[in-house]
Amino acid sequence: MWNRKSKWNLILFAAVVLLLISSIFFLWMKTNIEVRSVVEEQYQNQQLLLTRHIAGNIEQTLNERVSLLEVIAKKDTGVPDDNFESDLKSVYEIAGLFYVVEYVAENGTIVSGYPEDNVPIGFNLYDNKQSRAFEYVKNNGEVYITDPLRLMEGNYGSFIWVPVYEGNDFRGAFIAIIKESDLKDRYVIVSNSSSYAYLIDERGRILYEGNQKYMRGALYVDLFGSNASGLQEVIADQINGTEGNGKYFLLAENGTTYEERLVSYSPIEWYNQKWSLALTSPSSEVDRLIVSVYLKLFIVAVVSALFIVFVSSFVVIILFNWSKSLEQEVDEKTQELKMSNESLRAANKKLKELDRLKTEFLSVVSHELKTPLTAMRTSSEFLRESDECDISIRRKMLDIIIRNIDRQSRMVDDLLDISRIESRRMKFHKESVDIGKAVSCSLEMLSSNLNNKNMDIQVELPENLPRVCTDKDKLVQVFVNLLNNAVKFSKENGSIRISAQEEDDFVSISVSDDGIGMIQEELEKIFDKFYQIDSTSTRKVGGSGLGLSIVKGIIEGQGGSISANSEQGRGSTFVFTLNKVIYNEVSE
Amino acid sequence: MQAENIGGKILSLMEANPGITVKEIADQLLIPEDQVESTLASMSDTRQKVLIVDDEMDALMSLKVALEAEGYNVAEAKDGHEAIDKVNSEIPDVILLDLMIPGIDGFEVCRQLKSDSMYSHIPIIMLTARGEIDDKVEGIELGADDYVTKPFNLKELKARVKMVLRRQEV
Repeated sequence: MWNRKSKWNLILFAAVVLLLISSIFFLWMKTNIEVRSVVEEQYQNQQLLLTRHIAGNIEQTLNERVSLLEVIAKKDTGVPDDNFESDLKSVYEIAGLFYVVEYVAENGTIVSGYPEDNVPIGFNLYDNKQSRAFEYVKNNGEVYITDPLRLMEGNYGSFIWVPVYEGNDFRGAFIAIIKESDLKDRYVIVSNSSSYAYLIDERGRILYEGNQKYMRGALYVDLFGSNASGLQEVIADQINGTEGNGKYFLLAENGTTYEERLVSYSPIEWYNQKWSLALTSPSSEVDRLIVSVYLKLFIVAVVSALFIVFVSSFVVIILFNWSKSLEQEVDEKTQELKMSNESLRAANKKLKELDRLKTEFLSVVSHELKTPLTAMRTSSEFLRESDECDISIRRKMLDIIIRNIDRQSRMVDDLLDISRIESRRMKFHKESVDIGKAVSCSLEMLSSNLNNKNMDIQVELPENLPRVCTDKDKLVQVFVNLLNNAVKFSKENGSIRISAQEEDDFVSISVSDDGIGMIQEELEKIFDKFYQIDSTSTRKVGGSGLGLSIVKGIIEGQGGSISANSEQGRGSTFVFTLNKVIYNEVSE
Repeated sequence: MQAENIGGKILSLMEANPGITVKEIADQLLIPEDQVESTLASMSDTRQKVLIVDDEMDALMSLKVALEAEGYNVAEAKDGHEAIDKVNSEIPDVILLDLMIPGIDGFEVCRQLKSDSMYSHIPIIMLTARGEIDDKVEGIELGADDYVTKPFNLKELKARVKMVLRRQEV
């Protein structure tokens, strides 16, 4: 069905469709990436805000607690009698975060504190060689906060040193301890497993880490070693005390894939302690957020692709059908051409056949016309030359001449009839005719012929046979021709039967003989002009070969029909019909 | 053939018995008397014999009368088969052969006679109502000695017959 050209067209079409579909998927991917980057940015900003919030919260809490101590430390009234015990109690209770608050006198001895159970009263810093921080605050007059240190109880905690002045006089210092665990309890971020927080100090050491195990004082960077890339930059920023977002890649536990993590960090400034809080979460979190967007975009892309496929296949089907209908049309036209060719060929064949028939007709006519002329000429020439010939020979020759003149004129009449019939110029002077009269008239004309062969003629016409509407002379001619044939093809003493019967609007007349008859193939051709069943028989019986053609022409020219039946050796029957006289025609 | 044999037998009988009568011959050969007489008549006929082959009785009759008046012995045949038989029995000196005859047509009769060494010497004049060149050519090719178109001039026909006979004598 598809020729090579349309095959190429189809391939081209498919390429265009594929291009369209792939461009849709390209756009889909591109949109995904853009959406992802926007969402990621938003996500990071959110995370940063959260980080900043938490960091600010911690910073505020810690600074407030220290401020409480500073307030008492700056009392102008000097060291109260209870060595700040009641003040420290109030501070402890208000702060609610301290493990213990103590007062160290100028000589380095802890003189008071709250709660008493946790205060080693009388403990001298100088005696126990733990006076470095005390000396520091004494000399600088500023609050000093230590890194988390191991407490006597085994926990870790930060020591807050606040110098106490009376005016400009150094009067000792407050020590407050915030236990690491307390701080954690307060600020641990409850989150899902994939995001966690960590806290580092200004040297990059871990203060808090969500879910990793680490050595105290270890650098955060060392925690992952070479498994993390991009982390150093983040840590460096954090150490600088800046705030921001970052990304780093972490080798997953299976050791082959890298996990991208988004980190937001914010500094916490607590007097001399500069910490940095960071929230980190895997970038798959972003994907999780936009997965529905992905899905919707994917659906849109698939729907578009399906739409394109549908439309294009629709177009293909339309084109296919179009070409198919074109092909069909071409086929039909070809078929029509073939048929017209065939009919032309058939017409040509028919024309050739007609031409052949015409030639044959002319040849037969010329023969039929020349034969009597030959006899006449020979006879007359003989008569002219032989003056003294016998009277009987003379008469014989004259008879030949007369007979052939009759034959010639009959032939000419027949030819004229045939010519009229074929050109439909034969005129019928229709009148009401009595069949019986026409039969007896024709029998009279043929009486000598009939007598010669001693034929037995039976005329069986019903008494009430209606008259027929026909040309009387032509009807007689029909009878004469048919009877002539019957006589010609009958043996001596044969019988001929003429009968008629009324049928609906017409009268059917039959002429049958018991002569030699014919076979079926001959029967089909007997009405053809000049058809000679066998040249022998034609010659034997003598005849133009036009008789039956003329009969057929006369009968059919008046709207009747004629048919013949025959069996070889049993005789032939000719049946023809003529229209009955209708009442008003008779009255005319 | 039969007629010829009869002729030969009659001759041999007459040689053996010089006084034999027609009746005796007929009795001995078991044939009718008139046949013996006609055989004897034809054997004693010294005229040149023309065989006319034509299925048109009137044409045949008129030509026969005219040629007999001219002094020819005329035999007649109405179709191809009869023509061949007549040639066998009569041994004509010339044949006037119509082309359109029933049974075997004129061309075929001509072909058969001309291919038979016994009769190929007999001149044949074709007679036909057809006048097409093709027919003439075919007739001449088959060995016809002359060709006359119907209706012919009687004088001309007689002259042509005379001519082919003279040619034959030479």
